[in-house]
Amino acid sequence: MATRRSTQDVYILGGYQTDFARNWSKESKHVVALMREATLGALEQTRVEPAEIEVAHVGNFAGELYCMQGHLGAFVVDIDPAFRGLPTARHEAACASGSIAALAAEAEIEAGRYDVALVLGVEQMKTVDSKRGGDFLGTAAWYEKEAKGVEFPFPKLFGKLGDEYDRRYGLKDEHLARISAINYENAKLNPNAQTRSWFMSYDHACSTGQYNAKIGGRIKLTDCSQVTDGAAAIILASAEFAERWAKRMGVALDRIPKVLGWGHRTAPIEFSAKTAQSHGMQYVLPHTRKAITDAYERAGLSGPEQLSAIETHDCFTTSEYMAIDHFGLTAPGESWKAVEQGVIEIGGKCPINPSGGLIGAGHPVGATGTRQLLDAALQVSGQAGDYQVDGAKRVATLNIGGSGTTSVVHIVGTA
Amino acid sequence: MRDIRRVVVVGANGTMGSGAGALFAARGFEVAMLARTEDKAREGLARAKNAVRSDVIESHMSCGSYDEALDREVARADLVLEAVAEDLPTKNRYFDAIDGARRPGTVIATVSSGLSMAQMSAGRSDDFQRHFMGIHLFNPPHVIVGTELISGPNTDRELLQSIKSMLRKKLGRVVVECRDMPAFAGNRIGFKVLNECAQLAEKHGVAKVDYLIGPYTGRAMPPLATIDLVGFDVHKAIVDNVYANTRDEAHEAFAMPAYMSRLIALGHLGNKTSSGGFYRASKADKTVSTLRPASLDHATDTAFDKVGFIEEMKLLHHVGRYADAMELLLAAHGPEADLVRRVVFGYVSYALSRVGPTEVAADVTVVDQIMGWGFNWAPPSVLVDLCGRKQVVQAMNELGLKVPAVVQDLPDGQKLSGQHSNIGRYFVAK
Repeated sequence: MATRRSTQDVYILGGYQTDFARNWSKESKHVVALMREATLGALEQTRVEPAEIEVAHVGNFAGELYCMQGHLGAFVVDIDPAFRGLPTARHEAACASGSIAALAAEAEIEAGRYDVALVLGVEQMKTVDSKRGGDFLGTAAWYEKEAKGVEFPFPKLFGKLGDEYDRRYGLKDEHLARISAINYENAKLNPNAQTRSWFMSYDHACSTGQYNAKIGGRIKLTDCSQVTDGAAAIILASAEFAERWAKRMGVALDRIPKVLGWGHRTAPIEFSAKTAQSHGMQYVLPHTRKAITDAYERAGLSGPEQLSAIETHDCFTTSEYMAIDHFGLTAPGESWKAVEQGVIEIGGKCPINPSGGLIGAGHPVGATGTRQLLDAALQVSGQAGDYQVDGAKRVATLNIGGSGTTSVVHIVGTA
Repeated sequence: MRDIRRVVVVGANGTMGSGAGALFAARGFEVAMLARTEDKAREGLARAKNAVRSDVIESHMSCGSYDEALDREVARADLVLEAVAEDLPTKNRYFDAIDGARRPGTVIATVSSGLSMAQMSAGRSDDFQRHFMGIHLFNPPHVIVGTELISGPNTDRELLQSIKSMLRKKLGRVVVECRDMPAFAGNRIGFKVLNECAQLAEKHGVAKVDYLIGPYTGRAMPPLATIDLVGFDVHKAIVDNVYANTRDEAHEAFAMPAYMSRLIALGHLGNKTSSGGFYRASKADKTVSTLRPASLDHATDTAFDKVGFIEEMKLLHHVGRYADAMELLLAAHGPEADLVRRVVFGYVSYALSRVGPTEVAADVTVVDQIMGWGFNWAPPSVLVDLCGRKQVVQAMNELGLKVPAVVQDLPDGQKLSGQHSNIGRYFVAK
């Protein structure tokens, strides 16, 4: 399967993220309130009129389970009178739902169907306790085989990812602890991060005990991203609209972030099938690696040396550990070197998750992919505030659904 | 100016002392927790560990008694945080001891929630006065990030700014600078509303007032339940201080209701006493009974009729239509609507009237941030923006409330609040 380049530029005009520290059930809110705040926030930030939006794509994992509400695309119409009749759809690919919604919008803009699209990722998860929520999340794996009757199935699955690294290359938990501590440290700079006022340190992440219990296999509490409620909206546009918009905003077109490349690959849903397939290969998750190299190729990049930063899917520390070598920051199996050398810290050669990532900023499942794209756009346009990576030009995102099953990569940049 | 590395907490066993110790230790400062006895200090340390949910902060912390450790620890401290009882003579006794033991240049901060900085620093050494300030944390400090920073009369300006930056960057605080006036900004504004609600409870009943001024009006918790959490004794100390030492348009709103003073005398202080305050929870049959201010007893039969516009506002908040909800409040008829508007716009009027060159706040951001991040209440200018300036002025005029200059002078089409986003968190649909 050859990688075709995009035929038309797709611009990211900006967007809005809700405060991931909020608990919308405590506020007694319906999921539409989340969608509304993110959408109106994105319109206000970009100064795009509601009537200029031509299509809306919503990423959401499991509204039916968490909120007893499906058909979330339809709720967009409720947000503003100008949205009446707007074509909308909801997309689902577990934790990659937000990126899949973005890919759909990009494809439509490239095809020339529409000039301006709203992409909205949303998940309300605090409606249920953690055990019930853990069971719901199990539906992102092969539920009958991997999750049914298992308490917190996903930490166990990503614990196995760590075990696989350990078998092939060796893995020290102290490197996972460092990854956790960096994400929490970065999150302190992010005013929308879930954990910004939580305590964390490398020593705490290394500790095991009543405050840092083992959740599944080698995965401890500090290795996990946390359940939360949140939404993130971005506004995508064709070159034609972006040019007009740039004039309206008084900015140069080449300062507006655009999608330079993308990759999208799906592996077998069952985790053991993935590692069986990659047996004897250098990369533990070859489909994820392929999504990354597809994106490099489409963006015309030689590799990670041309990236300013990465926003990756650290649902657990092991998934970030995997991303480091899969992006090519180190040779396969040598992710620990990048951790030790400070490559992935803000100020390092290629900071990973300056926002705090899923571990620090929070992981409202359906919102994560759009939140990553928003953060990438903020970085390359110099608007990331306290967590800005100096001079960021190109930022990659990796959004993963399931146990490394659906991988979506975007590379966002101004040139 | 010294780099702050070693922090001493005096009064480390109290709520604020243990919370402050946790904050500093969690960010890598070396913290000495001091109390009357070492065991008391250890209690504070246990609370600190529980607050941040980690054992490892203990490696940055030590415990000691005043008799055994105060002189030694203060002598090597960079910052001494005083968190003893909210009583001027008590605080002065500790300041005497601290001033006697400290090196020149050591910063002394009080977590006082509103006592006079001038009175606390008067007559002390020049070096003490230059390095003295208020760092008013809100309870619980590891959750509530709003923080007031108050200069004493002779505090070094540069030092104050560097502490402000440290609080913001290293401790993740939202810091506002307040002038040295009774109760500072947050408690002055907040307790005006809380005490007004306590006064209203005499006529309308406790449950009804908490229903009328409930979370849907832009707060995390109903007002009388908030007083139960704060404690009647603390409430009294704050409103009595403001009542005795200020004169403003809402002076009588600070008059402590007599029924509350009688309850204090009977030992009912709110949640911290088993006999409760406005509410009394019975562990035995899991019921909550409600205070009857006239008879000073608690009853379970305090049902009242729900009010149409309030229930409609909650439904609008539920789906995120906050401005539409406020429009309903502005248009609603009846005595209940009048009462709600009086309290809500009374709050906006009072808060924004505290902004000015001779008031506690130099600009709108100070009152907005401290009400938002200290009290979890909708900041006053967010309410102005949601309702619209003209509508707010009209409502204030109809209610006989003072129209603050910052509202009067706001140009059409301009927002008063710097906060255009994340405002939904204040409007709870309850």
